[in-house]
Amino acid sequence: MVKFFYIKIAINNLKRNAQAYVPYILACIGAVMMFYNMCFLSNTEDIGHLSDSQTLRRILRFGAGVIGIFSIIFIFYVNSFLIKRRKKEFGLFNILGMEKRHIAMIMFFEMVIIGLICIASGILSGIILSKLMTLLLFKIVSFKVVFGFEISPSSILVTTLLFSGIFILNLIYNMFSVHLSKPIELLKASNVGEKEPKTKWLLTIIGIVCLGIGYYTALTTEKPLAAINIFFVAVILVMIGTYCLFTAGSITILKTLRKNKNYYYKPHHFIWISNMIYRMKQNAVGLANICILSTAVIVVLSTTISLYTGVEDVLKTRYPQEIIITSDNINLENVKKIDNTIMQQLRKFNIVPKNMVKYKYLELALIQDKTHFRIKKQNFFDKNTAIAFVVPLEDYNNIEKKVIKLSDNEVLLYTINANIPGNIINFNSFKLSIKKRLTSNSLTNSLTPAISCFWIIVKDIETMKKIFCSLNSNKNDMVQFSYYYGFDFNGNKDNLMDIYTALKNSLNKIVNDATIEVREMAREGFYSIYGGLLFIGLFLGLLFIMATVLIIYYKQIEEGFDDRHRYEILQKVGMTRQEIKKSIQSQVLSIFFLPLFSAIVHIAFAFKIIVKMLQVFNLTNIPLFALCTCAVILVFAIFYTGVYALTAKTYYKIVS
Amino acid sequence: MTHVLLEVNSLKKIYTTRFGGNPVQALASVSFSVEQGEYIAIMGESGSGKTTLLNIIAGFDKPTSGKVLLNGREITSMNEKEISSFRRNNIGFVFQDYNLLDTFSIQDNILLPLVLAGRPYTEVFERLKPVAEKLRISDILSKYPYEVSGGQKQRAAIARALITKPQIILADEPTGALDSRSSEELLKLFAEINNEGQTILAVTHSIKVASHAKRVLFIKDGEIFHQIYKGSMSNDEMYQKISDTLTMIATGGIRNG
Repeated sequence: MVKFFYIKIAINNLKRNAQAYVPYILACIGAVMMFYNMCFLSNTEDIGHLSDSQTLRRILRFGAGVIGIFSIIFIFYVNSFLIKRRKKEFGLFNILGMEKRHIAMIMFFEMVIIGLICIASGILSGIILSKLMTLLLFKIVSFKVVFGFEISPSSILVTTLLFSGIFILNLIYNMFSVHLSKPIELLKASNVGEKEPKTKWLLTIIGIVCLGIGYYTALTTEKPLAAINIFFVAVILVMIGTYCLFTAGSITILKTLRKNKNYYYKPHHFIWISNMIYRMKQNAVGLANICILSTAVIVVLSTTISLYTGVEDVLKTRYPQEIIITSDNINLENVKKIDNTIMQQLRKFNIVPKNMVKYKYLELALIQDKTHFRIKKQNFFDKNTAIAFVVPLEDYNNIEKKVIKLSDNEVLLYTINANIPGNIINFNSFKLSIKKRLTSNSLTNSLTPAISCFWIIVKDIETMKKIFCSLNSNKNDMVQFSYYYGFDFNGNKDNLMDIYTALKNSLNKIVNDATIEVREMAREGFYSIYGGLLFIGLFLGLLFIMATVLIIYYKQIEEGFDDRHRYEILQKVGMTRQEIKKSIQSQVLSIFFLPLFSAIVHIAFAFKIIVKMLQVFNLTNIPLFALCTCAVILVFAIFYTGVYALTAKTYYKIVS
Repeated sequence: MTHVLLEVNSLKKIYTTRFGGNPVQALASVSFSVEQGEYIAIMGESGSGKTTLLNIIAGFDKPTSGKVLLNGREITSMNEKEISSFRRNNIGFVFQDYNLLDTFSIQDNILLPLVLAGRPYTEVFERLKPVAEKLRISDILSKYPYEVSGGQKQRAAIARALITKPQIILADEPTGALDSRSSEELLKLFAEINNEGQTILAVTHSIKVASHAKRVLFIKDGEIFHQIYKGSMSNDEMYQKISDTLTMIATGGIRNG
């Protein structure tokens, strides 16, 4: 009997607080649904049909992890907001004679109801949606369609466990926070904390410094491989900077403005500044969260979308020609044989190669010290690492169809992500002078454009040998080098596998380790990885946007209740309704669009470093990325404004 | 020759609920006038219509019929914008719950009406000084409302009302939230201000407040029921007289006597 009573109260409480609880429950259902789907997709059997299923599964599992962690933080955040608002209600129960354990009972049943609704309907809608998601995923990664319907019990179990855990944790937190407070405090809980915030110069300075260093490193990073490490450092610095500046910096600025009497004692500024000081005190952390989430949404979506739409570019960067044959450890004799064998096999398949690029080369992993180079011995990453390709002039002239002449110690130099000051290159004691720096280079290879790279064209094989010997003091002759043979062709591309096998078999008779790469055959793998990333990007983007919306919504409700009284007073003192509306509007607008504006500034500063990082993924198409970023920002801003309009409406309703 | 400052002419207010409930008559027909320099208290029980009356005089609310004239200008027919600036320049308010903004320091709260009126800050500060001294709050100007006592808050609210040099001060239960000592001080202050020529209209159900006024109007069921002049009576004698009158009104004895 008694239990029913509590359940009834719990249900009534939820109904009464629907304005606050409905968005919370919807968001939880959304989170459950997304998590289930991510788990489901990473386990689904259909993925097994794809060529690179393991990598895709790993990407999806990573996505599930991110969604899980984010859900924990996010649900906890919203819950703490809700319980803060309801303390008064619990205080009333307490004063009306309910003991704290009774209140705990009510809270328990509330949480059970919410948990059941969220998990059950989340998983149910997740299962219904899973088919759609599978189709979407397959559409993105492979353009294939799969049939059949699958339910994954293990995913259901994992989802249920995770979210039950989250809800139980929240319940414990709520019980503690009510248990630790006295009834009179519970009644007054929402009225405390109206003290004027202090100016925190130290935090402001820390914020400026962190943000400055973050921006600076993002702008000055030139080497793509270093960019990945630096990016995370920069992200953390910018995050710290954002939090410090939103919390302390904003108040410092507002208070400085307030000290300027001529500026402050103007009708509009007067109310705006004094109210903003309080708003910033209460909202700074929330706004910083929104700012960081918005930045994350934009970064994740713009990078994954541009990677996906740029897959063709990526493939062309990774595989400059349709078929590429490389072979290490060969000598001059083998080169002829390889050439002949390839031509033979191609003739068999009626293939006429075009855009042919073939050259002998010496690939050296070096450590650069200005103009001096030495061989790289350790395997760990050194920021001065550079790869040098030494190519004889004969091959260069053939490819470029030029007749350049070089004397013994002269070279042509072409650099990628690197530079050599002056006109002399030193390989230990061996000196070479740069005759000309090349601005373009038709010599290609399948190396990622992310690495520091030197193309050094030397007079002949003899010079290559000299370089090799002076770098490796223990050897006195270079017997072997590498050979690159790449070409495109017209015609039938259905029997690529046969061509591949034929080339492989015949080449293996001549040399030990010939590598044959076919662009067409790699396509599916690239689509499955970049498509998987896009899929996760969309998912996370959606989740982040949902979180942003919810934080904004709750902020508005909270503000509305606080501001109602203030505007009544202002009206009594002689402000017209219109003036008040205008004043509210300018404050809400400032509060709302500050995070979006900061996010766009963050993106602008991060643009360069993200471009560098995309190079590691073989994407060099900067205009494409710029376009994607702008498009994502635009769509996000429109969405954001929509949310603003909707919540502002709720706000006005509460205030007037 | 005395000058009529405020004229209230057969004011009537009927509240109708939105969904066609029974209309409630808050004011039946109220007429009175206030002369320059007067100190008037309007007394009545809760629900007698005194707050409605004050709201209409202040322009917060529109009457169903009747007129309010301040210095010959009709408040009841002004539009919202006119009323707001009129209120800012001509009427000072003192409320029961102070109505100070918690986001402003005491000083900024006092300056609020002047700043809203767009006065230059040099003039604003010139005006602040004498007012703050008169109300003995010069030392708490930089504090915030939550840091000072109720009496101090109410004095700040009076300073805010006085700083615009209004034609009339309207007070709604000015001592309602104060302890007896602060109340006493506040009433003395009102008398002082009045002696300097400031017109005050206070609405109250406290005999104590009313006993300091020069004239007391009694309102009951939306009508002015009775009035007494203080004349040369002391505060205590006035207190006794008001108390007697209230008893008689309650028992239904006199009418317009």
